[in-house]
Amino acid sequence: MSAQTIPMPTAARQPPRSQQLVALLPGTLLLFAIGLAGKGLESLGIYLRAHHHYFPRIEYVLWAIILGLVLSNVFTIPAIFRPGIATYELWLKLGIVLVAAKFVFADVLHIGGMSLVLVAIELALSLTVMTVLGKIFRLPPKLTSLLAIGSSICGVTAIMAAQPAIDADEQDTTTAIAAILALGALALFTFPLIGHFLHMGQQPYGIWAGLAVDNTAEATVTGALYGDLAGRMAILAKTARSAFIGFVVLGYAVYWASQGQAARVERKALFLWQKFPKFILGFMAISVLASLGFFSAGQLTSLGNLSKWAFLPAFAGVGLRTQLRDLVTQGWRPILVGVLGEIFIALITLGMVLAVYHHGAAQ
Amino acid sequence: MESPTPTRKLGFNVDAAAIVIALTFAALIRLNVIHRISW
Repeated sequence: MSAQTIPMPTAARQPPRSQQLVALLPGTLLLFAIGLAGKGLESLGIYLRAHHHYFPRIEYVLWAIILGLVLSNVFTIPAIFRPGIATYELWLKLGIVLVAAKFVFADVLHIGGMSLVLVAIELALSLTVMTVLGKIFRLPPKLTSLLAIGSSICGVTAIMAAQPAIDADEQDTTTAIAAILALGALALFTFPLIGHFLHMGQQPYGIWAGLAVDNTAEATVTGALYGDLAGRMAILAKTARSAFIGFVVLGYAVYWASQGQAARVERKALFLWQKFPKFILGFMAISVLASLGFFSAGQLTSLGNLSKWAFLPAFAGVGLRTQLRDLVTQGWRPILVGVLGEIFIALITLGMVLAVYHHGAAQ
Repeated sequence: MESPTPTRKLGFNVDAAAIVIALTFAALIRLNVIHRISW
């Protein structure tokens, strides 16, 4: 999953809870304002084109991201908005849990299970390749570990989960996060082009995006930019991938502990549970309820629409937190290792998805 | 040295909050307190 990269003031003591919640309001409103502006621009485009005026044919997802990108990269976001912008993670997870209403649980098990197999293969290959690339380009070993974890599993959240477990320093963590976020931004614009070029169907494209794009937010957007079904499939595949986070972080924690460079993990089962992304349980619960006929067709549509409203501020947050200058300020070697590794992962997962769908195993 | 892009965490459990909000809305929709959400 994803975290937030807004500079944090070094406050010595925490303000009261009510004050913290009030502090979230401006940034949260900004997220919704950008999301609504994106939706408004899409509607405006439809209206203008219907009346024979030119307007770019861009969907609300991309508008929200573009507006966020322009705001955060051209202007300086005032500090008052920063706490609330971090809530984009809440809206993203809320959208994911609610979108489960559009899945029949049997499909979750079938496609999710297929994704798990693909994820296992992708994990083994990407961890190996990133480690080899890190050695070739002489990156610090723990930075290599963080990049491998971030690119193979779940982007920023996996890196954040791994940092204390392998006792990585702040600079390596920052570099790895910046590299993963910058590469995620590139995926937003390249994956849909590749998908259209290869005439990929909604389902295989969505699975591919979920398997190859690192952060859940970017994976969701990359899928949604291709279509509604592709967005849902990307979420499903990405969720299956996220489920592995504890195992991979535990593996690295045990390795670095064996090298005497991190604390030993005493209670491994508890460690796995602590690292497990709990929102997946909510996703499963809603999907089970929907499959058992707990909701009418109209109510399922309402839940699906509510998930779209929740994704709106999340998409705005993806644009707002993406700092394009991070592509050049983190040094060329981590970015190059990241780019090479991501290209490898994208090609491997694309090959796997095309093979699975070509042979009809996913039907 | 202060890192250029440290991470900000929210002061509450985001996963739990997402599940609670989602289940609350699901219940309100199921009980017809909320009749329809359009897009």
